Amino acid sequence: MADNIQTYYDHPQLKPAPFSWIVALYVYLAGLSGSSQMVATIADLFGGGRLRSLVRRGRYLSLVGTVIGPVLLIMDLHTPQRFYNMLRIFKATSPMSIGSYILSVFSVFSALTGGAQFIFDRAIRGPWRWIARIAQVPAAGAGGGMSVYTASLLASTSTPLWAASPGWMAVRFGSSSVASAGAALALGERWSGGRGYGRKLDALAVAALSVELYAAHLSQRDYQTKGVWGDREAAVWDSIDALGGYLPLALYTAGFFLGRRGRTLSEAASLATLVGGLAMRLAMQYAGQASASDPRTSLRFAQPENLPRAQS
Amino acid sequence: MQIHPRAREYPDSQFSRPIRDESELTAGVKIEPGKSYGFFTDTTRCIGCKACEVACKEWNALPADSVGLTGMSYDNTGGLSASTWRHVAFIEKIGHGGGRATEMAPYQSNWLMMSDVCKHCHNAPCLEACPTGALFKTEFDTVVVQQDVCNGCGYCVPACPFGVIDVNLDDGKAHKCTLCYDRLKGGFEPACAKSCPTDSIQFGELAELHRRAAERVQELHRLGVESAYLYGTPGAPGATGGLEYLNAFFLLTDAPEVYNLPRAPTRASNRVMPSLLSGLATMAGFAVAAVALFAGASRNGR
Ligand code: SF4
Ligand code: SF4
Repeated sequence: MADNIQTYYDHPQLKPAPFSWIVALYVYLAGLSGSSQMVATIADLFGGGRLRSLVRRGRYLSLVGTVIGPVLLIMDLHTPQRFYNMLRIFKATSPMSIGSYILSVFSVFSALTGGAQFIFDRAIRGPWRWIARIAQVPAAGAGGGMSVYTASLLASTSTPLWAASPGWMAVRFGSSSVASAGAALALGERWSGGRGYGRKLDALAVAALSVELYAAHLSQRDYQTKGVWGDREAAVWDSIDALGGYLPLALYTAGFFLGRRGRTLSEAASLATLVGGLAMRLAMQYAGQASASDPRTSLRFAQPENLPRAQS
Repeated sequence: MQIHPRAREYPDSQFSRPIRDESELTAGVKIEPGKSYGFFTDTTRCIGCKACEVACKEWNALPADSVGLTGMSYDNTGGLSASTWRHVAFIEKIGHGGGRATEMAPYQSNWLMMSDVCKHCHNAPCLEACPTGALFKTEFDTVVVQQDVCNGCGYCVPACPFGVIDVNLDDGKAHKCTLCYDRLKGGFEPACAKSCPTDSIQFGELAELHRRAAERVQELHRLGVESAYLYGTPGAPGATGGLEYLNAFFLLTDAPEVYNLPRAPTRASNRVMPSLLSGLATMAGFAVAAVALFAGASRNGR
């Protein structure tokens, strides 16, 4: 590893993505609502009809991404009135293009599912329940895409931090999305005095958080070997792991062992999971932009030993 | 360079109309759609006059930016941006690192100057990232942003491994060197190449430029400049990671990093499938876990 890299007056060698915090918020909400749709659909199809209130909440939650998601994305364009040009072509080399179509499919079918659920809830006669049951399937598939394509979006750039560990970042985004959905739905279950499926959702969140922590660990190994690592990065990722990973895991565990009396702890765990998920997306975005603006990092990353095999 | 025979048809110093296929007279190349064109920037010929910067700003009507001093030698431009499409870098090697020079290496190795530009990559990451199709490959094998299509999503900006393209916040569109697309259509060589007084910037057909550049490297080696090498030709530094080659390539005499160039850039789209597939596999795994969880709920009612 060439550590004594000379720079050009420390002038940045790359340009950071011109994305504001709005993009990080979108990435978070896309994952939350996409995974909610997926969890709700599985609960509907495999829950034997016992999980109706959970299914309803999941469907409504996925409307968040449907309604706010496109607005956030259009807000972050620098020429927003031309947003429709996104659907002018399809390009498999561009996750921004792939994502535009995932979002479109997700929005249409989630709106259909949520709308039919809403009408059904008002006890209006009609095939509403079945419309929701059918529309939820493509919505759930696209929801899985919504949870992870944003990682591909960041990874498929020249920004060192994002490019250094494409696969593990996607695992991280996906598991964080599932954890957030589990946490949000568990809160809904507990706060509405539901039938007590909170524990199952907690279990889902715990599994997802553990996978996320493991993927975070592996991606950090990539950052170290590829030279996208320093004291600042270590501090950022350690706090993110603690806030969004170890803290909620500890709270979930404590809540579980305390049984019924642990309800508040479980709720706190859910909240910590939700906050941690957003914090992780914000950290990923800002730390990535910082890595692009730092010529030492970008020039060190663009060394032959970091090339994919058979391409050097 | 020899005088083109057609030049004799234009003895006047002022012309009432543009010269047909002017590039034949100024650059010795006829510009025809369907062929590959590019720049060969030979940094050993650069004298740092910045005529290219000025010509580019003039022709493309680009606004002035950063009127001030940077403290970076004679480089008060800083780098390429949405409104600067040629940038002359100055690297002082005399007395570098605080020490005072007591001897000089031969031939322009004491003060490096390089006119940087968009590389018009063969597999251009900016183009591959652009979701609107605003960025496209022209009939001259160059990479251009269509201003009437770009919606300012900004995704091309982090995609570029050379930090070239940028979004102008005033008009909300992405801008970069067009390799003078409009001039090429009219049979003119690009403004920077035409204005360069030392032919440090040469415009031409890519194959011919590659030939000329290889010859120049050999000549420099003969003259004792062992350090001369090409950046951006097939198999060379700068043409790594799936980019294959850069239509605008360079002859350098020091490490790429010294000129703020990445030694081994990569094609960003290499990472689309690995990240997307690992993400989707993760989601499939959680879907199976959720099925197991909820199917259990339906059996024992909890
Ligand atoms: S150098 Fe950057 S802006 Fe120019 S073609 Fe290559 S990727 Fe695009
Ligand atoms: S900013 Fe314009 S040129 Fe760049 S990727 Fe977006 S639409 Fe394409």
